[in-house]
Amino acid sequence: MKFQCVSLWLLGIMLILCFVDSHSLRKCLISTDMHHIEESFQEIKRAIQAKDTFPNVTILSTLETLQSIKPLDVCCVTKNLLAFYVDRVFKDHQEPHPQILRKISSIANSFLYMQKTLRQCQEQRQCHCRQEATNVTRVIHDNYDQLEVRSAAIKSLGELDVFLAWIDKNHEVTSSA
Amino acid sequence: MLPRLAVLLAALLSLRPGSNPHGTELPSPPSVWFEAEFFHHILHWTPIPNQSESTFYEVELLRYGIEYWRPIPTCRQTLMLSCDLTAVTLDLYHSNGYRARVRAVNSTQHSNWTITNTRFSVDEVTLTVGNVKLEIHNDLILGKIQSPRPKMAPAGVTYESIFSHFREYEIAIRKVPGNFTFTHEKIKHENFSIQTSGEVGEFCIKVKPSIGSRTNKGMWSKEECISLTRQYLTVTNIIILFAFVLLSGALACRLALQLYVQRRRKLPSVLLFTKPSPFILGSQRPYPETQDTIHPLDEEAFLKVSPELRNLDLHGSTDSGFGSNKPSLQTEEPQFLLSDPHPQANRMLASGEPPELGDSCGNDSSNSTDSGICLQERSLSPGTRPTWEQQVGSDSRGQDDSGIGLVQNSEGQAGDTQGGPALGHDSPPETEVPGEEDPAAVAFRGYLRQTRCTEEKATKTGCLEEESPLTDGLGPKFRACLDDEEGWHPPALAKGYLKQDPLEMTLASSGAPTGQWNQPTEEWSLLALSSCSDLGTSDWSFAHNLASLGCLAAPGGLLGSLNSDLVTLPLISSLHSNE
Repeated sequence: MKFQCVSLWLLGIMLILCFVDSHSLRKCLISTDMHHIEESFQEIKRAIQAKDTFPNVTILSTLETLQSIKPLDVCCVTKNLLAFYVDRVFKDHQEPHPQILRKISSIANSFLYMQKTLRQCQEQRQCHCRQEATNVTRVIHDNYDQLEVRSAAIKSLGELDVFLAWIDKNHEVTSSA
Repeated sequence: MLPRLAVLLAALLSLRPGSNPHGTELPSPPSVWFEAEFFHHILHWTPIPNQSESTFYEVELLRYGIEYWRPIPTCRQTLMLSCDLTAVTLDLYHSNGYRARVRAVNSTQHSNWTITNTRFSVDEVTLTVGNVKLEIHNDLILGKIQSPRPKMAPAGVTYESIFSHFREYEIAIRKVPGNFTFTHEKIKHENFSIQTSGEVGEFCIKVKPSIGSRTNKGMWSKEECISLTRQYLTVTNIIILFAFVLLSGALACRLALQLYVQRRRKLPSVLLFTKPSPFILGSQRPYPETQDTIHPLDEEAFLKVSPELRNLDLHGSTDSGFGSNKPSLQTEEPQFLLSDPHPQANRMLASGEPPELGDSCGNDSSNSTDSGICLQERSLSPGTRPTWEQQVGSDSRGQDDSGIGLVQNSEGQAGDTQGGPALGHDSPPETEVPGEEDPAAVAFRGYLRQTRCTEEKATKTGCLEEESPLTDGLGPKFRACLDDEEGWHPPALAKGYLKQDPLEMTLASSGAPTGQWNQPTEEWSLLALSSCSDLGTSDWSFAHNLASLGCLAAPGGLLGSLNSDLVTLPLISSLHSNE
C-alpha cells in the first residue's frame, strides 16, 4: 500500500515537471560554441568599434532594454534578435577588409546555426512572443532606423558583444572546451 | 583696388575665431586606451608632439548609450598621461561599456578629442590573481590562489561574484636550480596540489587566471617560491623509529634474561671432584712421560689390606709363599705410596692417569698376572708415540689379550724399544735405548690376557733380551711380554688376565744372562707369571729380590700349576694400580 502511494507521488511529480518544462519555464539550450563567436568578435572589435562615430547612441543597449526582459520572453527575443542580425545587420554592412570580413562571416554562420537550434526548441516548447518581447524588438528596430544604414550596421556590429553576453546570461549554453 | 581687397581679406581671415595665431592647431593625443584590471581602470594616452610645459589634458567619459560626455575633473593635471577612472566606472561589469576621450589643452588652445577605439567593457579587463599561498605537506605542495581584492570595489562585489563560473588558472612550476619550467597545468579551482615525488630543492610557482567562457586576457602572477627539504623527521619516521627502539629494547632484554638464566653456574665446592682423566686410547697426554712408573710399595701397606682380599682366590693355586699376604690390590684402595724415581711418572701418578696402565701389553715382558686389560699407552708424552698398531699387531696374534693394551712406543724411549724388536715395526731395539728405557719401562703396562699366542713369545724373548741389560737400580719394569708361553699356549681361551708384573724385570735384573734367559724364557716367564700372579696384584711389590726370589723359588711347581692356574685365573679387573 505504501509502495503504491510512493509510486503515485513520484508519477505526479514527474508529470508536473514535464508540464512545467513544456511551458518553457526551462531555458532553451543552445548548444553552440559561443566562445568561438566571442573570440572572433574580439579580434575585429577594435577595427569595427573604431569606426563607430556616434558613441552616445546605442541600438541594443538602450536603458534597461535587454536587462529587463523576462525569462518567458527570452526565447522570443532571442529569436527576433537573431533574425535582426542575420536579415539586416550582416546584409547592410559592407566590409572592405578581408580578414574582418572573414570573421564577420563566421559569426553570421554561427548565428544561422543558432537560429536553427532555436527553431527546434521553439517547435517543442512553443516559443510564444508576448507583447513585451514584441515591444523590445520594435525598439531595437527603431533605433537601427534612426541612424544611417552604414553607421547603423557598424554600430550594430560593434554591439555584438552586448548581444552575445545577453545570450550567455539567459540561455544554458554549454561551456566551450 | 584689388591688392587692397586681398590684404583686407587676409586680415579678416587671420581674425577668424578659432584660428591658431601660430598657424597650427594643437594636436590631439594620438591614441587613447584603457588598461584595466579588476576594479582598476586606467586610461592612458600618448602625449602630443611638441608638448610644452603648460599643456594639460582633459578627459571625458561617456557611458555607452547615454548621450552626454562627462568631464572628469580628477584628470585635469599637467603632463599626466594617464588617469584612474575606476571611481567613475564602477558598474563596468554590469553595463555595456564606456567610451572616453582626451584632448590636449593649452593655455590658449585645446585640441580635438581623441576617443578610445573600442568600447571599454568587461572584455577589456585583464584578469589577475591576488596572491598564491604555498604549503608543504609531506610530498605535496599545496597551493591556494586568492582573487584580487581591490580597494575601489564596492561592498559585496568580488571577483567570484562577477565571474561566477568557469574560472580557470594556469600554473607554471619552475625548479630554481635548473631553471627548467615544468609543463603548465590548467586547473579549475583555486586550490591545487603538486606532487613533487621526493624532489628536493626550491620550486617557484606562478599563476595566470582566465575565464572559460570569456575572452579576457590573463596576467601572470608574481612568482611564489618554496623550498623542499628532505624531511627526515616526519611523523611516520618518528613513529617507526620509536617502534624500532622499543622492539630492539625488548629483544635486548629478552636476550639478557636468557643469558642470565643460562649462565654457567659454578658447582658447589662440595660437588667438585677431580675426575680421573679418562683412559683414552691414543689421546695425547700432557705429560711428557708416557711411561707408567711403578714404584716400590711399602710392605706395610700390604698388611693393611683387608683380610678379605687375602682370602681372595684370585690367583688360585698360584698362591705361593708370597702371595697370600698380599691380596689383590685391585680391590683395595691404593694404599701404596709409589715413590716415583722419575718425576714425570710422579706427575702421571698424581694425575691418576692411566698412563701407568698404559704399559704395553703385548710386547713387553712385564710380569702381570691379572686383569688382562692391557693398556697400550699411546701417547703419554709428546715425545712418545705409542704404537697402538704394534701392540695390536702383537695382540692380534694373541687373542687372549683383553684387547686394551697400551703400548708405549716412544721412539726415543726405552719402552718402545723394548717392544721394538718384538713388534718389528718401528723403534728398533737399541742397546742405547734400554738405558733410556728405564723410565719408560717403569711404566705400568697394563694387563695382558693370559692366553696368548706363541707369537708373543718372540716378543717376550725380545723383551727379555732387552731386559737383561737393565740395571737393578731401575725400577721394576713391566713388560708385557710375559703372557704367552708355549707351555700353556694350547688353551686359547682367555681365562683370565695376568697382570703384567715387573717380576720379569726382576728376573732380568737378576743378571741372568740372556742366553740363559732365552732358553727358559718361557719357563721363566711362566714362573714369573705364576709367582707374580700369586702375588696377585702385587706387582707393586718392589723388592726385586723378593720378587725374583719368589719368582724363582718354585719354578717347577709353579710351572705345573701355572698351566691350570693361569687358565683359571679369574678376571682381575682392577685397574686401580695406578693409584
